[in-house]
Amino acid sequence: MKALMSVVALIGVLGSLMLIGMIFGVVPSNTVRLVEGYMPMQVLSELAIFVAGFTGLSYLANSMGIAFPRFWQGVLFWAFIQAYLKFRIYPPIPFSVRAMYGTVSFVAVFMWVSANEEDWKKFRQPILNVLDANTGFHKALRTMYLILLPILIGGFSFMTMKPNVDEPIELRTVHPAPPASTKVHGKTYTLQTSQNPYRVNLEGKFDQAYSNKLIVEQGMGRLMAPNANPWDDKAEGYLKYVREGGEIFFQNCHFCHGDNLNGRGLHAFAFNPIPANFTDPGTIAQLQETFIFWRVAKGGIGLPNEGFPWASVMPPWEQHLTTDEIWKVILFEYWHTGYYPRTWD
Amino acid sequence: MSKLRMNVKATPIIGAALGALILSATAAGLGHAEDLPEGFAKGELAPAPPAEMIEAGKRVYFTKCVWCHGVDGAGDGPGADRLWPRPRNFNQGTFKIRHTASGELPLFNYNEKNPDSGKNDLLDTVTHGLPGSAMPPWEGILTEEQRIQVLSFVTTQLVKDRKFTDKQSETQTILQLGTLKPAEATEESIKKGAQLIVDKKCIECHGVEGRGDGNAFNLKDDWGFSIQPADWHKCWNFRGSRQDPYNVRNIFRTFSTGVNGTPMPSFADSTSVEDRWSIANFVNSLCERDAEGKPLGIDPLTDKPKINFVVPSAPVEGEISNDPENEMWKKQGRRYVAMGGQITHKPRNFVNRIDDIWVKSLYNEKNVVYLIQWDDRTKSVAEGKLPWAPIQVNVENFGVKEQAPKTGEEGSIAAAQNNYAVYNDGIAFQFPIKWQEIPAPFKPRYLWGDAKFNADILKWEADGSLRSFKGTGWDQDFEERDDFEEKTKLLKSEWKNGQWTVMISRPLKGDKDDYDEYTRFDIGKYIPMVFFAWDGHNGDAGRKMAVSAFYYTILQPPIPQEVYIYPAVIAVGVVFLEGWMLTRRANKKKGKVL
Repeated sequence: MKALMSVVALIGVLGSLMLIGMIFGVVPSNTVRLVEGYMPMQVLSELAIFVAGFTGLSYLANSMGIAFPRFWQGVLFWAFIQAYLKFRIYPPIPFSVRAMYGTVSFVAVFMWVSANEEDWKKFRQPILNVLDANTGFHKALRTMYLILLPILIGGFSFMTMKPNVDEPIELRTVHPAPPASTKVHGKTYTLQTSQNPYRVNLEGKFDQAYSNKLIVEQGMGRLMAPNANPWDDKAEGYLKYVREGGEIFFQNCHFCHGDNLNGRGLHAFAFNPIPANFTDPGTIAQLQETFIFWRVAKGGIGLPNEGFPWASVMPPWEQHLTTDEIWKVILFEYWHTGYYPRTWD
Repeated sequence: MSKLRMNVKATPIIGAALGALILSATAAGLGHAEDLPEGFAKGELAPAPPAEMIEAGKRVYFTKCVWCHGVDGAGDGPGADRLWPRPRNFNQGTFKIRHTASGELPLFNYNEKNPDSGKNDLLDTVTHGLPGSAMPPWEGILTEEQRIQVLSFVTTQLVKDRKFTDKQSETQTILQLGTLKPAEATEESIKKGAQLIVDKKCIECHGVEGRGDGNAFNLKDDWGFSIQPADWHKCWNFRGSRQDPYNVRNIFRTFSTGVNGTPMPSFADSTSVEDRWSIANFVNSLCERDAEGKPLGIDPLTDKPKINFVVPSAPVEGEISNDPENEMWKKQGRRYVAMGGQITHKPRNFVNRIDDIWVKSLYNEKNVVYLIQWDDRTKSVAEGKLPWAPIQVNVENFGVKEQAPKTGEEGSIAAAQNNYAVYNDGIAFQFPIKWQEIPAPFKPRYLWGDAKFNADILKWEADGSLRSFKGTGWDQDFEERDDFEEKTKLLKSEWKNGQWTVMISRPLKGDKDDYDEYTRFDIGKYIPMVFFAWDGHNGDAGRKMAVSAFYYTILQPPIPQEVYIYPAVIAVGVVFLEGWMLTRRANKKKGKVL
């Protein structure tokens, strides 16, 4: 038990040191990759590791007879959560959202320290000590609090009341509801029934099972499947169309969506909303090919209002590409990311 | 006796010390003896990577790299012709960012797995990318193993004219960057660097202020493509910045080794290590910094300065100065506005040479003034009259074309660069007309408004004109607003050493409260704003331009009195609360009941 706890405690110490190092810029912030965007599993598992680490630390301290007061455990843990949310996640979460998390974690910490009568007594004892000021140290502490509290609260209300010029927060729907059908280059496509004409097997028949076998493999790098090189001279059918789609992608789309389809192209830094990251499991992996077809053909200007059509720089690709080219690009995007398009059934 | 013993002991010590001195001197490149430039040492060629590594690398290459670098690694993939700088042509073995002497192959060793060790240049490049070009950082996308595999493939199969393992023809003279300590960036060192860049003729290409505006027109790389000298004010765009743009070592390295394939030579032979640090310190000191002189925050997702989408305008009493050096302007903070190519509608601009502008704003009771500064290597004023009227936006009808997707190298962007007809440099911004009536977050479309919500556009061109338009759509010709133009004022427009400074004043509102035509500025409200920029030497005209995202401008209200009063009241309240609590507690302890 002790050995296990020591290991766990070590993790806690290392993790805390790393976080503190990152906050003060001693440890480069990319030592362990920052949590980027919406990654609840990474956040939860990292927090779980920290909690385990703290448990180990507290256990060890207890067994060594230098128990850490419950009051400071509670306060420090709450402060840790705040620091984690502020410094570990990128792009930064707005203060209003962090304040919500802060309240929730405050309630959680409060429930923890007041779980039973004994714990609660332990928790509030340091507060009472300061209030009653029985010793010289506590007296000094009390005087300090008496002076600091009004100053801090007054200062905080001044900061909040001072007119600020922070960025206003606007929430945008990333995947708005598609229309039933869309008209591109004079032809109407029903989104429920249309199919990518290039997702075909060697006989030229629509065959998603066939194409699914030839996409790149999941995992780091997402490399092409062995013996499924679209650049092979002998590549035919699906793979040949993938290459043609890739050529169009790298002549038109990578400027924003990036060489790795992760939304980090040359011009991406300048735009807001930022270009979609196709490697994120929340984008094309969740959508039907026909949805992509509609979005590509109609572009930002064709979005419904909840998608902020006025701000998106996504071109209506029907102005630049033929219908066939659009389908091929979509084929390429699924190939390159290694995702299957969603089907209607 | 004791003396003798001491001598006996001392001799080997002195000998050892002398030996160490000589050894270290040779290692640190006192190798003047061997004719090595200062700070360099001879190195061994790395072993050839094993065959299975090369084979594995081929799979990586044909998934990720082939799209730009091409099947034969000649830098002619499908994406190449619309890129500038063009993707690297590997065939000649010419690589820009190295620790090796000018002309030598870069360091690549499949056994050296640490990209930041200074012992594996190519791994460093693939890991951190080449900022300012389309080459992204592959860290976190490809594993370290995969990055080394693909480099094994590239260095053995695609570098065709040279061989990384050929002892007959290749040497490695390596900059010992790890052992050289940077000279501190003292005022003296920076001053010395400022003099040295004149003596060493750096300014001939990089310009007097280092904005890359000297001789910007005649430079070509080894393949005959137009290239441009680096703009020292944008260190985050340095190809060799290794995602650490304010690190002076990167500049020292580039200056010591030169940039192969370009006119940038190595200065190692002619410049002492100390002088090189002075130059590096000076160049580093030019990179844009915040008001306190600290490096700008760099966004790790984009490797560009972090963006704040609000352009605040501060109140001033009386006349607003037209001198950017005036105290009122110096006091006001500036904002970085990122500019991307307009790639939504034809003619698209795949290569915008203006990638950021800096904006400041002040207002008084009548006008709001925007001070916009941006780097542009060339002052461009169209010769003669432009074929289109100022209100016409569909300039593709007059021959302003976007780059064809596949043109062959002769017709590529890189080849056409600097061969365009010269149009006017320009800057413009738009606000929604009647934004008060548009429910947030609705806005007129970023590209010159739409039929429902019109945009109020103010456009300056390098011919000295400042025009005011109404925009009703991306493909709709502007509507003129002559009566408003008289009220706007160009306070300043100057091109100096690669930088434009333009100051534009416009009224806060029209004559009456009727604001059908013009944006009316209300204090303390967020008003959406979009910026547009044209580089006349880049063939920019009409929609072929650089464009920003939506920013907000806000006239900062003077701080109202309540802001000072209420917090004081609250603080006093807290004091009373404390008193009450302590008395209560004390009474309770004494057993008194209140």
